[in-house]
Amino acid sequence: MVQINLPQNSKVEKGTYYKDTTGSKNIRKVNVYRWDPSSGKNPRIDTYEVDMDNCPSKVLDVLNKIKNEIDPSLAYRRSCAHGVCGSCAMNMDGKNGLACTKPHSEIKGDINVYPLPHLKVLKDLIGDLSTLYKQYESVEPWLKTSKTNENKENLQSKEDRKKLNGLYECIMCACCSTSCPSYWWNGDKYLGPAVLLQAYRWIVDSRDEDRKERLKKVADELKLYRCHTIMNCTNACPKGLNPAKAIASIKKMLATS
Amino acid sequence: MKNKNNPLSPHIQIYSWHISSLISISNRITGVINIIALTFISIWISSLLLGVTRYEFIENILNSFLGKFIIIGIIWSFSFQILSEIRHLFWDLGYGFELKTSRITGLIVIFGSFILTVLIYLLGRQL
Repeated sequence: MVQINLPQNSKVEKGTYYKDTTGSKNIRKVNVYRWDPSSGKNPRIDTYEVDMDNCPSKVLDVLNKIKNEIDPSLAYRRSCAHGVCGSCAMNMDGKNGLACTKPHSEIKGDINVYPLPHLKVLKDLIGDLSTLYKQYESVEPWLKTSKTNENKENLQSKEDRKKLNGLYECIMCACCSTSCPSYWWNGDKYLGPAVLLQAYRWIVDSRDEDRKERLKKVADELKLYRCHTIMNCTNACPKGLNPAKAIASIKKMLATS
Repeated sequence: MKNKNNPLSPHIQIYSWHISSLISISNRITGVINIIALTFISIWISSLLLGVTRYEFIENILNSFLGKFIIIGIIWSFSFQILSEIRHLFWDLGYGFELKTSRITGLIVIFGSFILTVLIYLLGRQL
């Protein structure tokens, strides 16, 4: 259901202010969402003054710098630092993206960093994505085929392979799903852009023999048709993919089949 | 769920607006306004059956400043809805999903709705 206000235990309070100790002239304020599960308190916004003269170009570098030099208690996910693993997905400057590919020079004013929106927070910038992973499992994201010849490749024409472009690149970072208002209000039932893009990836795969069943399974008032083409997903995708278009393609397939 | 006491991360409070999301919510709001407006217009037309005094009464209301404001508001609401729904029809056919295209069509909807409002209003005064 639509609930605009945050629950009482999620109201964000003012946190600690970490003053710069390096004496640098090039300072930027970084506001970071913090929540410590062991404290029993509400989440807070801590503000760090960061010396930008000795900081590489991406938002993830800023966070690393805070963790290494100012406050080691800060928790966030990260791994590859090259926009391939999707671990460091978070909300920066009001927009979802990967901290490792988002240059902090693109942000005007203070740098505001929040976890991905409308998730249960596990700690600081780490949100609980288990619902999304369960939904991902529900679309059975693997090839279903009766061909079991182990000595021969399962071939696909160039045209058919082309249909997977813009779909197979998805890294499941959840930037799109957590940017979607429909997914905020109906996240328990609506599959969300990330999972629907994955569903479509298997629906259009020419080697898959389960297309009809897959379409039938996804054709649901809540699972699919909660998409109202708000397009926040496409705006958010750090890989430049188009989940809105993929969802529309599923709808079109259902309407014309 | 094991972590049901964990806080919910901020969502609509912090998420920045895009043209597309702004039009999406406006599309819904104008839809509701249009239903209410249509109901009132129907009641107005039905009330004409009751004679000339009714007609004059409502005409006076609509000719007042507030009445004109409401009329222009309704015209805009209809203009916006029509243009936005045309955009949705193209989407349903599978066109216009590229970020750049959707931004341009979005701007057309916003500016077009105002231009259409002026045109319809002027046309209405001519009649």
